Amino acid sequence: MHGALVAGVFICLAMVAAGQEASLPVPSNAVAGQAASIATTGNGSATFYLRGPSISFKRDVVLGQNIDLSAKELQSAGDYVAVLCTGTCSSARFFVAPGKPAVLTFLVHPSRAPVGVNDVISGVALPFDQFHNLILTPSAIQFQLTAKGSAPSSRNAQTHDGVAWFRTSSGRSAGALQISASLSDLIARRVVQQVASDPCNLRIKGQQTAKGILVETEPVRDCSGNPVPDGTIVTFTAKDGHEVSFVDAPVKQDIARATLVAKGPVVVSAASGVATGNELRLGNKE
Amino acid sequence: MKADFRQMNHHARLRVSAMIALVLLSSSALFAADNSPQVTLDASKTSPRSVEGLTQRAIVRDYKFAWANLDVAMESNSAGPLNGLFAGSANDWLRETVSSQQRSGITSRYSNQRHKLEAVFYAPVGDVIELHDTAEYDFEINDGGKTIHNEHAIVHYVVLMTPGADRWVIRQLQAVPQF
Repeated sequence: MHGALVAGVFICLAMVAAGQEASLPVPSNAVAGQAASIATTGNGSATFYLRGPSISFKRDVVLGQNIDLSAKELQSAGDYVAVLCTGTCSSARFFVAPGKPAVLTFLVHPSRAPVGVNDVISGVALPFDQFHNLILTPSAIQFQLTAKGSAPSSRNAQTHDGVAWFRTSSGRSAGALQISASLSDLIARRVVQQVASDPCNLRIKGQQTAKGILVETEPVRDCSGNPVPDGTIVTFTAKDGHEVSFVDAPVKQDIARATLVAKGPVVVSAASGVATGNELRLGNKE
Repeated sequence: MKADFRQMNHHARLRVSAMIALVLLSSSALFAADNSPQVTLDASKTSPRSVEGLTQRAIVRDYKFAWANLDVAMESNSAGPLNGLFAGSANDWLRETVSSQQRSGITSRYSNQRHKLEAVFYAPVGDVIELHDTAEYDFEINDGGKTIHNEHAIVHYVVLMTPGADRWVIRQLQAVPQF
């Protein structure tokens, strides 16, 4: 009983192995989205199976006639296994290559970048065919960067393993930076908003009022002269003898304001990020 | 005498339980060793950004889990195991394979998997990584319980992975004749 079972398994394995030795004349240069066919010999009926990256089917076929594979059945690039079974099965593996570029995926970071920072902007471009197969043959990608008030700059990069990339520094002026990646007639566009960097050279002024001391900055700008965004925090410090008090105030329309409560002479200063401002002596005759 | 017998019986039972536990543990370990994909990653030649150690471990963990679940999905003809591990076209393609297998009554298996990954591109901000996988596995296609194809395959995959909320997901899994 046991011997018969072993012999049966052995025969089955031998049949499968023998069947797989005879190879099918599968397509040698198949391209995604293009029909292909497999020639068969002999006569009678058989069952044909195709297993690919996104497909698996079986179909009754007549031996001696071609097995037609439609464009839709070969949309995904990758490896396919074709199996033809009569009494035994024979199989073969073949590859389908990606088609022509149809989509350019373009990833750009960041969406907002402070001005004057080295290598802060980067982009990655990946060409795909219309069935979203990654195109691995080298392709020439042109990256173009255009900022308002400056001449466009461009750089060429060849895809390697299906990827081309660039890295660049941000410009000197705040505003939109248009970035495009193009491959033949395909173009993908992105925008990076260049924003002011950290505040630079804070200047403050103040005056005594009935409620206390009103202090305010002059328009707060970065080192390139771009106004910093609203909401940037400026910290005012008041030194009244041995007492020190702090007030945080957000920049609103380029200027930060605060009212400090102090009775005697007071020294007021301001800081934002790494920038510090001038000292102001108030509440005495100075 | 009766107490001695009970104690001896208790010891024997303990020994038998220990042996059964040992056999179960070793068999489950063997089972796990047989079925769990083996994945190694070489990130020494990655550019333009180097892959941090923690990221390497996360990629290996998630790639291994994805392939283990891919095998389960193809064998059980259920797309559920693919949830959350694949995205984009890889997800669409695998789901389409599962549903077309369901329609035709075919199942497939990827057993004894070994994946040698090489990271070839890691984006400057770390939002996409490209891997080359030299995969080795026993690939089997079954139709109604009958094996119609069985081979030890070596397949080269170009893989794109992107970081998700808590794991790396496979976005592209494309076999190529060679790298």
